[in-house]
Amino acid sequence: MTVTESLAQHVVDSLVAELAPVLGDEHVLTSKTARWNRARVPAPFPVHRWSERVPDLVVLPASTEEVAHVVRVANKYSVAIVPRDGGTGLTDGAVPERRGIVVDVKRMNQIHEIDLENGTCTVGVGINMLKLNEVLGKHGFIYPDDPASYPCSLIGGRIGTSGWSLVGSRYGHSRDLVLSFDMVLPTGETITVGDGGGQKLTKSSSGYQLKHLFMGHQGTLGIATRATLKLFPKPEAEFSPFWAFADYETAYRAVGALPRAGVATFAGAVLFDEWKVDYLRRDDEAYIPQPSSVKALVCAVAYGNEDEVRAGGRRLMRIARDLGARYLGDEISEGDWAARHDRYATPLHGRTRNGQVAPMSWHCEDAAINYTRLPAVRVAWHGILDRLRRDYDVFDDWGMFAYTSGNTGLDYLTEIDVGIWEQELDDRAWAAWVDAKREIAAVSLAHGGSISACHGSCREGEVDLVPEELGGAYEVMLKIKRALDPNNVMNPGKYGLDRAYRTEDS
Amino acid sequence: MAYRYDEQSTPPAAEQVTDVAITRFEHVFEVDPRLMAEHVTQQTFPNWDTLRIVRSRTDHLAWMHAHWCTTVVSGEELLAELDAE
Repeated sequence: MTVTESLAQHVVDSLVAELAPVLGDEHVLTSKTARWNRARVPAPFPVHRWSERVPDLVVLPASTEEVAHVVRVANKYSVAIVPRDGGTGLTDGAVPERRGIVVDVKRMNQIHEIDLENGTCTVGVGINMLKLNEVLGKHGFIYPDDPASYPCSLIGGRIGTSGWSLVGSRYGHSRDLVLSFDMVLPTGETITVGDGGGQKLTKSSSGYQLKHLFMGHQGTLGIATRATLKLFPKPEAEFSPFWAFADYETAYRAVGALPRAGVATFAGAVLFDEWKVDYLRRDDEAYIPQPSSVKALVCAVAYGNEDEVRAGGRRLMRIARDLGARYLGDEISEGDWAARHDRYATPLHGRTRNGQVAPMSWHCEDAAINYTRLPAVRVAWHGILDRLRRDYDVFDDWGMFAYTSGNTGLDYLTEIDVGIWEQELDDRAWAAWVDAKREIAAVSLAHGGSISACHGSCREGEVDLVPEELGGAYEVMLKIKRALDPNNVMNPGKYGLDRAYRTEDS
Repeated sequence: MAYRYDEQSTPPAAEQVTDVAITRFEHVFEVDPRLMAEHVTQQTFPNWDTLRIVRSRTDHLAWMHAHWCTTVVSGEELLAELDAE
């Protein structure tokens, strides 16, 4: 892990002197609390080395122009800039690995326009989806971008990470739902990217399609400030059945059959494996009383007009019933689904090897895996965690999910949840964890998948394999990074992009 | 202050549900206290606060349903329809 020294005080003073007149004194923060609280994200990190990632100052701009000013000042002093939205990402995108200036966008949280005729809204990127939907719901609309951090993540972070949505099989993911956005480039210029020049278009064939380039870059290519979003009618009805299965193999067949049924209101299906069921039996009130014959779980979810949800729901229920599933009932099904919008509120504790409760942070390694590879990936991943847990009694295997990414059952967001007793980490345990992450990523690639469907792949461990995954496309990434960010100020250290600046001699 | 009364902080007798969980209130499960002896210890908690937290959770889940849609379709109803075919 590269350690960057804090800026000299006279440099911090110069930055404050240039930033405060434009942003206001109260929006340029240098206090310990302001800086240390923006040093990490919810994913576990080496707590014993927290101090190595603390930014030198924090700014809270209120407009695109103010963001552009911050970026120009950072270039002038060659100081790192790290965009931070909700700070809920799981791949360290918002972690200031090279210190510098954290740009916290939460003041840019206005709703600028709701276009009821075209079904769009334009917002500052500091707004949260739940709060936005409270307003849109009054107009009969919804913005259906639904991460597990739904109550606390922000639109800008969804752009920077190209987020994955729980109901993406019905409505699409962030890249489909964000129509266009204003982007401050690493040198301070501002552009608008979307489909073509229009800001409210779902499809254009004019010019390069840059929207995807500026989504999912983890803050390495600039800072989004204002976005136009695609709205849908607020659903009349929801259906979220949970089923129990006597074995993994049958549950696996079900999670493939449900999306392939062609139900138009289908919004997602999830497979919970044996390890996940064991975990739920420890702590989840819905599953503690379940009989030992329950070995795997599947849930499905549908949204839309009530008559269509009922018709489609009947078809989904028939598929599960014919495969021998046992419906867990309305109370468990409805309660468990509602809780999935808000997984960051989960009480976090795990078990040591002797079964004692210990405080643990939640982490999940994710990948994009084709349906036919799910069983093999599951076995390999649990094997890696089993070895890690045997060597270090600060890790706990919390089981796996496989979640439809689309509505045809082609590929699945595949996650293994890991409890980590952060306070007990030391350099050896952390290094073992990083090695395990690298192994997990290698399994994904060996099975023809991608290192990440959802979180991104720029944390220690898996990031080492990104060049292998992307091949020649990674070389193009390096060229783009260097062309757009000649001074390497925009979130440096992420995705191994520093190598874009290496000379022959270095 | 009511929460200081001992009787309010004395929970009903525990019933073992599984080898790792107990219950003291209907549908409310707790980690077996024997598993919270080394690294995390249990706190004294007023009974009404335990129930308040559980009910708040239920309220939150109901709020989330209403936030996303108007109606929640019952799987039990659909299954009954299928079984009647």
